[in-house]
Amino acid sequence: MDQILNLLASTSGISITTLLLSTLAYSSPLILCALGGLFSERSGVINIGLEGKMLAAACATAFVGAASQNPVVGLSAGIGIAILLSLLHWILTQVYQIDHIISGMGINALALGGTSLVSKTFVELGGKDAAIFPRELYYLAAWVAAAAIWYLFRSTRPGLRIFAVGNDPDKSRQMGLKPLGIRLQSLVMTGVLTGLAGALIATNAGRFSDEMTSGRGYIALAALILGGWKPWPTLLAALAFGFFGSLQLILQGRDLGGLAVPGEFWQALPYLITLIALAGMLGRNRAPAGLGQP
Amino acid sequence: MNGISKNFGPVVALDQVDLTVEQGHIHAIVGENGAGKTTLMRVLYGAHPANEGSIELNGQPVNFRNPEQAIRSGVGMVSQHYAIIPELTCLQNLLLGAEPSLIINQRDAESRATDLATQMGFQFNWNQPANELSPGQAQKLEILKLLWRNAKILILDEPTAMLAPEDADLLYAKLHELTQTGATVLVVTHRLPDVMEHCDHVTVLRGGKLITSVPVSQTNPSQLAEQMIGVSVTQHTLTESHPGEPILTAENLTILGDKGQDAVKSASFVLHQGELVGIAGVDGNGQRELFHALMGLQPFQGSAILEGQNLRDLSTQQRIASGLRLVAEDRHHEAVIESWSIVENASLGLHRLQDLKKGLGVNREAQLALATAATEQFPTKFDNIRQAFRGLSGGNQQKVVVARALQQNPRAILAFQPTRGIDLYVADLVYRELIEATRKGITALVVSFDLDEIMTYCDRILVMNHGILIEVPPELRHDRQAIGRMMVGATP
Repeated sequence: MDQILNLLASTSGISITTLLLSTLAYSSPLILCALGGLFSERSGVINIGLEGKMLAAACATAFVGAASQNPVVGLSAGIGIAILLSLLHWILTQVYQIDHIISGMGINALALGGTSLVSKTFVELGGKDAAIFPRELYYLAAWVAAAAIWYLFRSTRPGLRIFAVGNDPDKSRQMGLKPLGIRLQSLVMTGVLTGLAGALIATNAGRFSDEMTSGRGYIALAALILGGWKPWPTLLAALAFGFFGSLQLILQGRDLGGLAVPGEFWQALPYLITLIALAGMLGRNRAPAGLGQP
Repeated sequence: MNGISKNFGPVVALDQVDLTVEQGHIHAIVGENGAGKTTLMRVLYGAHPANEGSIELNGQPVNFRNPEQAIRSGVGMVSQHYAIIPELTCLQNLLLGAEPSLIINQRDAESRATDLATQMGFQFNWNQPANELSPGQAQKLEILKLLWRNAKILILDEPTAMLAPEDADLLYAKLHELTQTGATVLVVTHRLPDVMEHCDHVTVLRGGKLITSVPVSQTNPSQLAEQMIGVSVTQHTLTESHPGEPILTAENLTILGDKGQDAVKSASFVLHQGELVGIAGVDGNGQRELFHALMGLQPFQGSAILEGQNLRDLSTQQRIASGLRLVAEDRHHEAVIESWSIVENASLGLHRLQDLKKGLGVNREAQLALATAATEQFPTKFDNIRQAFRGLSGGNQQKVVVARALQQNPRAILAFQPTRGIDLYVADLVYRELIEATRKGITALVVSFDLDEIMTYCDRILVMNHGILIEVPPELRHDRQAIGRMMVGATP
């Protein structure tokens, strides 16, 4: 690591500050999105639809923000659409008991097609700059969310109930809990956090472009798994992905003093780690015991 | 409770049952499997709404639509399968569903929990994960959960099924103390000794109907047994066994458990021709691993010889061919395929034996003949022998599983809780058939968590505690207290 930093400083004049800022920019949507996933999966609902929610939220924030020229309205639209998609996931998996993976895939496909339709329909609006909040607010929100979730699960009633339902819905039911209701609340929180994540991606880019989340919902899911479904480790995992992601952005196309690493390698690295994590090679065994159970 | 009726589809589970329970009593509800005991209790605490009838609590009519409403009125139930979530700590399990406030003050909750436990004479390490609890501790935690919710009427379903006799006595002593403070306890059980010794009043159900409800002092075990079953059964008397040649000899068996511990520690025993040997002990003391290892489902150290053949050299299929049979503990996971027919299940595992095999396939006629024989061995109720196994009741499924082990010339039968879920009458039949089979020159080893069952039927008794297997000396063979002490590792 030191060597890489030294190399960076000496060969390309990239300062550590630049790298840190870039890490923050890259990792904050991942943190928000992964924490959103944490709510869902802790309550027992597998959620591979994070990508779709984030994409839809980015789209809504950009277009509504551009149309209204009001950042509050734009952000609300982003969060709102993510909550709606989350509720759709709840209805499909909990009320109609459809396989969680299928429902998640469906939501991703819906978001992909839907946002592309919107951007092709409102081409003019897409060219306008959206009204946005400063991105630092989102950075702050990501860390505050991690702290809040840590506290929620450590010592509050809703936290205990989400944890219980996610581990054993049947026994929770015997103890008078209503898994359906608790999962509804959890999925609303997933919507809020993935909505924030999507809004941040739109904010970082300034406007919407098709497929702009580029698989980061899956990377967030990998961070969640690597973090063992716990808020602080998840945040750390997302930071690590953010670090390598920004390293890749910076290193691409630069000469590393004879180090012949193709740019594609750096580009592929976060996805490679994601793939390994999602394939369950890095500790699926700590997963909530009731994941996917009705 | 007045005139309670409950149907599940066309099945009448309860038919006009009345029940009156006095405050401060320990009231036993007894009956066979399927008599409606548990259903009646579930109606009482709101888990199943009744189709007919009314419930009064302290003179007030009540109508609980779900368990939460019942617990708010002070009625709570501990089911046979504990509602303890292993991933949570003991304290979290205690609080779940009845948290004192939105934000849980850990220290406050812990001290209140400790107070409650001390009152009952229980001890808990509240931050211990619940998966480390023994069945006895889990039972205690379940009772504390009800008390935490201020239950005044406690319903316990088969509370001593998983406990060693000493723990069971202790539990009843504590329940007595509770009733002194005004609580009322309803115990669902099939163990008549518990009823006679510890309960004040007893209600007998049979086939969903109320048979009688009397103070315990006015009845006796044989009368209760007759009322439960509907016919009088004679207590089984042991016939003398004449052990012959050894069939299965195990020496220094050491078997790893699923957590990497030694689940069975250097166990040695010999099973002879002509004897039925029982292993007494509380669930989870290595019985499961012992049977799995003998059957070839997990590895073992030491030696096990079946009539001159080293089991280590034989695959499971070869062990079956050599006459080893298993009545598995977990019927659904280990013994049957529920979507297959009765015919297919009756020969499952035996299907590669010489008599049943036909080329690469199965000899259909032989298979049908075997299934017919198996279902006739114990009277099994079914519509069509080719129907899916799923359609049989639990008791009838178990009959087929036990009968299967007796087919095709077994030499040594390993039976894990062979009477699980079947009526006393058929249970008696199962043991008689097992004993008869051994008298014809084979051997059988039975694991049961019901000490009375083992004492009634087995020729020799082994006790298993924490993986250590010891034999009960012949002079203590009929001493229930002594065997009970051995089950928890104390000196007899």
